[in-house]
Amino acid sequence: MTTVTEQPTTLKRGYVGQSLPRREDKRLVQGQGTFFDDVRRHGMGYVHFVRSPYAHARILSIDVAKALELDGVYGTITGDEVAISTDPFFEMSVEPGGLIEDYALAVGRTRFMGEPVAAVCAATRELARDAADLVEVEYEPLPALVDGEEALKNEVVLHDDAGSNVVWSGVFSWGDVDQALAEADHVVKIERLHFHRFASTPLECAGALVEYDRGTQEWTIHCNHQMPGVGAIWMAPSLRVGIDKLRFVTQDIGGGFGNKICLHPQFVVLCLLARKLGRPVQWTEWRTDQHTANAHGNERTFLAVEVAVKADGEMTGFKVRAIDDCGAFPRYEPLGCIIWAQVTPGLYGWRNIQVDFTQVCTNKSPVSPNRGYSRMQHLWLTERIVDIVAAELGLDPVEVRKRNYVKAEQMPYETPNGCVYDSGDYAAALDLALDLIDYGSIEERRREAEGRGKLLGIGIGSTLDSGTNNFGQSTLLNPDLQFSGNNEAAAVKLDIFGEVVVTLGTVPQGQGHETTAAQVVADILGCPPEQVNVRRGHDTWFNTHAGFSGTYASQFAFTGLGAVKGAAELLREEMVQLAAFVLQAPEESIELAEGMARVKDGPEEAALPFMALGAIVNANNAFLPPDFNPTLNHRYVCRPYFGVVDTEKKTGQLTLTYATQIHAAVVEIDPDTGEVDIVDYAAVDDCGVRINPQIVEGQVHGATAHAIGAALSENFVYDEDGTLLTANFYDYHVPHALDMPPLKTGAMESPSPVAPLGAKGMGEGGGGGIHCLCAAIQDALRPAGKPIVYDSCNPPHRVWSMLRDPGSTRANVTVVSK
Amino acid sequence: MLLREVDYARPATVDEAIALLAEHDGARPLAGGQTLVNVMKARAASPDVLVDLAELEELRSIGFGSDGRLEIGAMVTYAQLVSSSEVEVARPILGEVAATIADVQVRNRGTIGGNVCVNDPTNHLPPLLVALDAHFTIRGADGERTVDASDFFQGVYLTAVGVGELLTKVSVPPAVSGTGDGFAAVTIGKHGTCIVDAAASISDEGGVGSTEPLESRGAGSADARAGAVRVVLGCVAPTPVRATTMEEGLAGAELSEAVVRGASEGLGATLDPPSDVHGSADYRRALAETLAVRAVLQAASRRTA
Amino acid sequence: MGTQPASSLAVSVAVNGEQIEEEVPARRLLVHFLRDDLGLTGTHVGCDTGNCGACTVHLNGEPVKSCMLLTVQVDGAALTTIEGLAPDGELTPLQRAFNEHHALQCGYCTPGMLMSASALLERNPHPSEDEVRVALQGNICRCTGYVNIVEAVVAAGRGSA
Repeated sequence: MTTVTEQPTTLKRGYVGQSLPRREDKRLVQGQGTFFDDVRRHGMGYVHFVRSPYAHARILSIDVAKALELDGVYGTITGDEVAISTDPFFEMSVEPGGLIEDYALAVGRTRFMGEPVAAVCAATRELARDAADLVEVEYEPLPALVDGEEALKNEVVLHDDAGSNVVWSGVFSWGDVDQALAEADHVVKIERLHFHRFASTPLECAGALVEYDRGTQEWTIHCNHQMPGVGAIWMAPSLRVGIDKLRFVTQDIGGGFGNKICLHPQFVVLCLLARKLGRPVQWTEWRTDQHTANAHGNERTFLAVEVAVKADGEMTGFKVRAIDDCGAFPRYEPLGCIIWAQVTPGLYGWRNIQVDFTQVCTNKSPVSPNRGYSRMQHLWLTERIVDIVAAELGLDPVEVRKRNYVKAEQMPYETPNGCVYDSGDYAAALDLALDLIDYGSIEERRREAEGRGKLLGIGIGSTLDSGTNNFGQSTLLNPDLQFSGNNEAAAVKLDIFGEVVVTLGTVPQGQGHETTAAQVVADILGCPPEQVNVRRGHDTWFNTHAGFSGTYASQFAFTGLGAVKGAAELLREEMVQLAAFVLQAPEESIELAEGMARVKDGPEEAALPFMALGAIVNANNAFLPPDFNPTLNHRYVCRPYFGVVDTEKKTGQLTLTYATQIHAAVVEIDPDTGEVDIVDYAAVDDCGVRINPQIVEGQVHGATAHAIGAALSENFVYDEDGTLLTANFYDYHVPHALDMPPLKTGAMESPSPVAPLGAKGMGEGGGGGIHCLCAAIQDALRPAGKPIVYDSCNPPHRVWSMLRDPGSTRANVTVVSK
Repeated sequence: MLLREVDYARPATVDEAIALLAEHDGARPLAGGQTLVNVMKARAASPDVLVDLAELEELRSIGFGSDGRLEIGAMVTYAQLVSSSEVEVARPILGEVAATIADVQVRNRGTIGGNVCVNDPTNHLPPLLVALDAHFTIRGADGERTVDASDFFQGVYLTAVGVGELLTKVSVPPAVSGTGDGFAAVTIGKHGTCIVDAAASISDEGGVGSTEPLESRGAGSADARAGAVRVVLGCVAPTPVRATTMEEGLAGAELSEAVVRGASEGLGATLDPPSDVHGSADYRRALAETLAVRAVLQAASRRTA
Repeated sequence: MGTQPASSLAVSVAVNGEQIEEEVPARRLLVHFLRDDLGLTGTHVGCDTGNCGACTVHLNGEPVKSCMLLTVQVDGAALTTIEGLAPDGELTPLQRAFNEHHALQCGYCTPGMLMSASALLERNPHPSEDEVRVALQGNICRCTGYVNIVEAVVAAGRGSA
C-alpha cells in the first residue's frame, strides 16, 4: 500500500518512472538462475576450511598427513604455505594499524573463532568435510579480547606487528563545540550508547569456483563478490601477479548487502589450491561460517556524549567519543572511521561537532561494510540524541525534529565538514510518515492499549542514505593513500540485427539492474525496453568495468545508470549521424523513436529500423566516406566530480547524493514479558527521481525488514571466551513472514541536482527502522520510570530489564541547565 | 552441514525395528528427522545406524483406547495433530500447540514421538503432555510397558526409552466436562524456539473429570472451583517441572486472576533456570510466573461445560 | 529397501515425473542429491540448520525441506522441484504473480517460496493474507520483507495475477 506525493521535475520520462516488471524474474521464478554453486567443472574439487575453535591462540603445529591419506582427497594448504607463496594484504590504515599482517589463512596465530587455518580439497563435499576433521592442529590458547574498550588498554594485543590494538584514531572537530556547550541553556550528557553487532546475512552464502590456466597463468573466479574491482586490488599483489591475471565472473547473486565485499582471503586460498592441484576448486560457505567468520557490521560504542541545547529547543552542537570494534582484522577498515562523516550532523542543523574516533581490533569476526555502513551507526547516535534530549527536556520529538531539521529551502546544504546535502524535504517526509500511522490518534490508542495491559509508544527514525562515495575520503584517514573519486563503466552497442546490447561493471544482487538499465536506454534510443538486452553480472574480461566497479554504497542510480546514460547518448549521437547520412537529411531533423531512426514528420520512406543501421556498419559499410567511421559500440565511464578533500581540516565532499528515509513506528509492549509488538509502521522514502518505483519500494521493504530484525532480535553476541553464541538462524533470529508488521510506504521525489538522471542511489536507508523502534520503545516505557534506550538491539529480555530497573539506564543521562 | 558416514535401514515392522536397534550399538531411530538430521549435520552426534521408522504404519494411527484415552501413534506428525478431527474433539490443545511449532515444512515431517524422545528442554510437547497426564507406551524385545509422564522424561535428551526400545504411542485422557487446557510461551520470534513455556490443565474433583454438567454445580466456568490443576513449566530445567506449590494453592480454588497470581508468587524462586543469550536466569524466573498464570487462566476460561 | 543396514543404497524416486534410479550414499542429503547428482540446481541451500526453507520441495505433494531429508528416505516417493512447476516453460499464474508484484529481488529464496506457496494454493485456493504468512513462515527472505511475496500469493489466489 503506497501513498505517493510527487514533486514536479523537468526530466522527460517514458519508460523511466514506470514500474516495469523485471526481466530478471523469468529465469529466477523457474529456478534457472545461475548462482556460483550451480556452476560445475569437470574434475573439480571441493574445499572445506579447517577453522579455529579458539578466539585467540598460538598455532603450534598443523599436521595434514591423515587428511591426505583419505581416499579422494586431492590436497591441502596451511598458513605456512600461504606465508611463503603470498604477501600480506594491502592495509589502508596509518601506523600502527597499517602494520597489521593479514594473510589468507592464519599464520602462526589465530585471532577469531572460526578463522580458517587450513583448507582441504577432495572429490566430494562430504569427503572434504571428513578430511577436514582429520587435520590435526595443536593450539596454545591465549586470553581472548572481546570488548572494544578493554582493547584500548593493550593488555592483550592481537597483532604484534602493530604492537597496539588501535587500527586508527583521530579527532574530528568542526565549528566550536566547547563554545556551543558554554553558551547552551541546557547541556544533556549521555554516558554511553551502544550500537550492536549484526549483519544482513544474505540467504546465499559466499563462495567461488576457481579455475587456473597453467598456460597463461590466469585465474577465473566464478563467484558472488560484490566489489570485484577492489577484490582484485587486494588479491593481485598478494598473489604477486598483475591485476589482469584475475578474471572475476559473477552471474546471479543471492543478496549481498555489503557482506560479500571482503571475500579475498578465502578466494586467495582457492587460487593457490587451484594452481597447486592443477584442477578447478570450489568452496561454498556454510551458514555457520558466514555468521562466525565472514562479515559482521561495525560495532560502535558512543561515550561521553554532550549536547548543547538552547531554551527554544534548537540544538547547536554535540561532542562524542566513539569506539569502533572492527573485529580481528581491519580489511575494508578503517574506511568506517570516515564514512560516517558523510552524515556528520545527521538531518539536523548542528554547526559545532566534535567526534573523537578510535577503531580497535578484538577477537571477533572481522567486519565488512554492512547495509548502511558506518552512517547507520552515526545516524542512530543523532536520533538517540534527539529523542533523549526531547524526553529529558520535556520537548515534543516531532517539534524538536522540525525545529532542527535542515530545511528544504536550505538545499543544497553544506554541512560543517563540507559535505553537500543535494536535496530533500525532511519535514514534509516526516509529516507524510506521521500521517500514514495516524499520529493524531496516538494518545487515544495509548489509553486503549493501557486498558488491555499494554504499553503503547510511538517513535520516529530519520535517516539519510548517502550515495556515490568519494574514495578520496580515505586520504582523510591516511594521506599516503592513492585513492580518490569514483567511477563506473557501461558499454552500449547496436548489434547487426538491431538489438541493443548493454554491459555493466555493476554487480547486482537483486536490485534489478538489467531492468532499470533497459528503461534508461530505451528512453534515450527511442525503442521499447524489450529490444534492449542487458548482459547480467560482472565479467572482468567480457563485460566492461572500471576500478571501482561493483554494487555497494547506494550509487547505482548515479554511477551505474550514469554510465549507461553516457554510453547510450554516445551511441545515439552516432545513430543520428549515420541515419542523417543515409537518409541525406540534416542531423537536427532526425529523431529516434519506436525502434526507428527517421526524419521528423517526414515521409514514410525516410526511416531506417535500427537493424538497418547495425547492418550497414557491421556488414555493408563500403559506401561510407573514409572520414566517417561509426562503430555503434560505445563505452562510457561515469566519473562523478567531487573536488579535492582537505586532509588537514578533514572536510570535503565525501559523497554526492543523499536520499531521505523517515520511518515511524507504533509499538505495544507486554510489560510482563518485554515482548515488543509493532502495530503500525510507515516508511517514507525520497530518493529523487525513481527509475522504477516498484523496485524502489521493494528496497524500502527489505531495508525495513533488516532494521526490524536488528532492532528486536538479530545480534552477534560473544561470551567471554570469544565464542559466538548466535551462529545460526535458531539463535540469530531474522524476521520471518509472521514477524513482519503491516508496512505502509510513502514516496516523495526531490530530484538530485547533481545526479545524471536526477536519481539518487538508495537501498541502505533502513537504519531508520532501528532508530524509530528504539524511540518507540523508549516512548512506550515512559510511564514505567522513563528508562533510556541505550542499545540498538532490544529483545524481550532487555526491555524487561529496562522495565524492572529503569534507574540504571537513567543513571546514564544528566541534564545541566542554566 | 555434511553428515559422517552412516548405515541406514528401513524395517517393515515394529519388531524388526526393535531388533535392529538392539543389535547395533550406535543405532538410533529416525522419525521425522527434523531434529536428528540437524544434529547429524552439525556432527554433534553421529549414530552408526539409522533405523527409519517410515514404513511402520501401526505407529501412525490416531484413535481411542478401550479406556477412552486418546491414543496417538509415535509417528503421527505435527501436521496430522493439527488436522485430526479426533484430536480436535478429544484434546484440541494438542493441535493448537502443534500448529505453533516452527513452520509447515517441519510440521509435515516432525513427529510427536520424535519431539518427546528428543526431550530438548525447549520442546513444546513435553511440558504439555505432563500437564495432560500423558502415558507413554514403550515396546522392547521383552514386550510392552506403559510409563507415565513423570517417569518418562528423565533428563536433557534422556527419556525412559532404553537401548533396543521404541516409543510406540502416547495417550492422553479425553477432555471431559470440566476440563480446560492452556499453553503460554515466549518464543524467539513468532512460532520460534521457546524461551520459557507453561502448560496448564484443569479438571474436576478427582482429577479425571466429572460427568455432571458444570452449570449444575452452580457457577460459570471461569469461576467454578477447580478440582485438580496441573501446572508445568518448560525450558527452566532438564525436564518439565511441575509447579507443585502453585498447584496445591489452586486445587479446589476459585480461579480468579487475583487468586491465580497469588498462587504463582514465589514460583520463580524455586527454579534454577539457565542463563543464555535469550535471557538471564532471573528473566526466565519472572517469565515462568507470568506464563504459569496465563496458562492457568487460559485453561480456566476454556473449561468445557 | 532391505532391513539390513547399508551405507549405500539403491534409490528409486520419481522426480518431476521422471523415474530416477541411483545408488546413493546413506549420508547424502536430498538437497545435494538434487543439485549435485541430478543437476537440478533450482533448489537452493541457504543455511545449515533447516531454518531458511530455500531447499523446499514437494514430497508426495507436501512441502518439506530437502536439507532435512536423506536421499535414501525418499525411495519410492514422488518429488516435485521448482523445475517441475512449469516444465514446458509456460509460467504458472503464481509465477506470473510473483513477477507482476515484484515478489523477488535476488531470487535465491524464490524457488522455495514458490514451492510453499503452490502447495498452499493446492489446498486452499483463495487464502487470506494471514494464511499466506503461516504457509510461508518456513521460508526466509532477506531482500523483500515479504510484503510483495504475500501480496503476490494472495493475488494469485484471487485469480487476479
